[in-house]
Amino acid sequence: MIVLRNLTRYFHSSASCTAVEKSALASLRKKTGYTFANCKKALEMHHNDLNKAESWLKEQAQTLGWSKATKLGGRQTSQGLIGVYVDNNDGVLVEVNCETDFVARNQEFEDMVREATEACMKYAKSSPKSPNAVTKIGLDSEQFRALKTKDDKTLADKLALVIGSVGENATLKRAVCLKVNNDVSLEGYAHPSGKSRNNVLLGRLGGIVAIKSQNNSQENLEEIAKGLCQHVVGMAPKRIGNPEGEPAENKDEEDCLIFQEYLLEDGVKIKDFLEENQVEVVDFKRFECGETLEVVGDQPLELLETCQ
Amino acid sequence: MASIVVARFVVPVAHRTLRQILSKRSIAKIHNYARTLQIISPEHTQKRSYAEKQVFDRSKPHCNVGTIGHVDHGKTTLTAAITKVLSDQKLAQLRNYADIDNAPEEKARGITINVAHIEYQTEKRHYGHTDCPGHADYIKNMITGAAQMDGTILVVAATDGVMPQTREHLILAKQIGVKHIVVFINKVDAADKEMVELVEMEIRELLTEMGFEGDKIAVIAGSALCALEGKNPEIGSEAVLKLLDAIDNNIPTPIRELDKPFLLPIEHVYSIPGRGTVVTGRLERGVLKKGADCEFVGFSKVLKSTVTGVEMFHKILEEAQAGDQLGALVRSVKRDDIKRGMVMAKPGTVKGYDNIETQVYVLSKDEGGRSKPFTSFIQLQMFCRTWDCAAQVIVPDKEMVMPGEDSRLILKMFKPMVLEQGQRFTLRDGSQTLGTGVVTKTLPMLTDEERDSLLEGKKAREKKAAAGKK
Ligand SMILES: Nc1nc2c(ncn2[C@@H]2O[C@H](COP(=O)(O)OP(=O)(O)OP(=O)(O)O)[C@@H](O)[C@H]2O)c(=O)[nH]1
Ligand SMILES: [Mg+2]
Repeated sequence: MIVLRNLTRYFHSSASCTAVEKSALASLRKKTGYTFANCKKALEMHHNDLNKAESWLKEQAQTLGWSKATKLGGRQTSQGLIGVYVDNNDGVLVEVNCETDFVARNQEFEDMVREATEACMKYAKSSPKSPNAVTKIGLDSEQFRALKTKDDKTLADKLALVIGSVGENATLKRAVCLKVNNDVSLEGYAHPSGKSRNNVLLGRLGGIVAIKSQNNSQENLEEIAKGLCQHVVGMAPKRIGNPEGEPAENKDEEDCLIFQEYLLEDGVKIKDFLEENQVEVVDFKRFECGETLEVVGDQPLELLETCQ
Repeated sequence: MASIVVARFVVPVAHRTLRQILSKRSIAKIHNYARTLQIISPEHTQKRSYAEKQVFDRSKPHCNVGTIGHVDHGKTTLTAAITKVLSDQKLAQLRNYADIDNAPEEKARGITINVAHIEYQTEKRHYGHTDCPGHADYIKNMITGAAQMDGTILVVAATDGVMPQTREHLILAKQIGVKHIVVFINKVDAADKEMVELVEMEIRELLTEMGFEGDKIAVIAGSALCALEGKNPEIGSEAVLKLLDAIDNNIPTPIRELDKPFLLPIEHVYSIPGRGTVVTGRLERGVLKKGADCEFVGFSKVLKSTVTGVEMFHKILEEAQAGDQLGALVRSVKRDDIKRGMVMAKPGTVKGYDNIETQVYVLSKDEGGRSKPFTSFIQLQMFCRTWDCAAQVIVPDKEMVMPGEDSRLILKMFKPMVLEQGQRFTLRDGSQTLGTGVVTKTLPMLTDEERDSLLEGKKAREKKAAAGKK
């Protein structure tokens, strides 16, 4: 085999690059977008038969992606995107990481995150609901990777393809699904509020809030929920907080949602804003790209995170 | 020799003291002080003191470049290889790969930047070379102006070719205002001639698509690793020298501050009986000569005058150069007509603006910034040169700006002040520094109506917006 390959290589360089060969490599690269090294290898293996080389590359894409993914596996990924998707009573939040912010801005990576978010939504919809007002299901990396996309591939497979193409390590870090009762509404927000397609929002930060209105016929509820969700994403509260509790001494370090000052209205506390609008925040979840996690632990799929 | 050493030590001190004295407005003291100074170092008026650190030999023109490219395509190896090849010619100090790769985080204007700065020189020029890991770091680097890149080296490995994110690299280059690019196709030791040719074609295509002159840009192929290891000189050291040559010839030397029309941001204004009005400050650029026509601009005013005398440490000079702390005697303007924050410049070279587009880095909490995000319509104080002015902020691309983020911001200022593209400034919220920015574009002046609306509260704005919808 090696001898054969060397022979072909020898043949290539000595017999000079004829115009035919040149266009073979050029068009294979143009058509498939695989790296030059891989295109070259494909042509060498198939004696410059373009069609054969192309189908081989397509077949190999998954394997090549996987071998690249394995090779880059140890490299740190702290950039990436958060995907947010809310569809009526279901909401999902996912985090996919990569090495550089250049890749995080790239279309191919965005598409991957969108697909991962959609797969997660499908999973959320098919999961059972607990009797609670809000059901939260957390997925760790392993569980997240095992989710299937529309074309019945695992997300891990899809990710390997992206790694093969951008040549950078990437990881499916975590996901969370929220399911709510009919009297609770969900709203999602991503920052920076980039392009949304198919209702999936992508950003460096993302959040979902679940709110309940005491007044059934509230027409601006969606707007209120969106404002609150933006607040959660921007101000990073850690818990909702108890109205009977004490606010933090230093206003800047307040991590209880209800005691924080509302981001969109100077001088108004969230607590007062909620009272004024007769709404209650039942739950929220916020993801920040690259943040270090408090231990999630090995969680069996059935384990349902309860309302905080 | 000894006196030069003394001068080096004395001059900065003199500066500070001079300012202190000036602020106490006791002109007589300067006189004495200057005389004492002359006794200590008779040579000192001959020496120029610059505010910037004197870190290199200025006899060659200086130019800032940087490497941009995909992870693993060999940016760091190439940077190390350049120092290696040049150190063989005694033009640089060899920097190891590990040194460059583990460059510590830097702080510029209070902002933490992940960047490696390397310096080297060719026969023609002296270079500052920047290598950053990510988009955000290049932006921060541009905003702080730590090392404004005059041109960039795009590194692409021949084995991989143009990658999906190469497009993002070029978008970044545009965003930080880099107009001149030289391409290095790396790893040709692991590729063949045909691949290299095709990669070159691809790059030229992409460059053209992204609005650069793809056909004209210099593309050099070689192997950074071979150069670093001293192997195969034809693709190693020789390719690196070719690359340096392309940089020398394709990235124009930026105009030196000294060669620009003079500009003096005014720090203080004095009225000296029997002589007239004196303005003081540090000459930002150009050369100021006695007898020069000048213009005072700022706070919506423009006044014309002539410089009748230039003084430094109370010594009369024929001319002062960029970097000099000086006093200028000006004809027929009253002390009360001019004030701190105005700019004295060559007539017609500067203008006041009150509506600008900027790129701003907002300090994270760890860097001393605020802990919460801000949204459009926040009012901040803008500090620039010797002036400060209130400005309303509009965030055009997103709904809020988080601490630690960079963002495009539109600033609508309460008064027109002297500004220009590339001008750096600081934004503060009360006593807290919020961020640092650079002016990327000047916009048409605000109309009277727009200026009045800056003072409107949220309620009035909402009312207007609602009325507009109906
Ligand atoms: N064959 C070959 N390998 C090279 C060449 N230049 C660099 N490499 C190898 O490519 C790898 C990556 O090189 P780096 O210089 O670290 O790449 P980089 O672009 O700085 O990577 P990041 O800093 O991670 O973005 C290293 O293993 C180098 O030894 C070359 O000319 N030929
Ligand atoms: Mg590097």
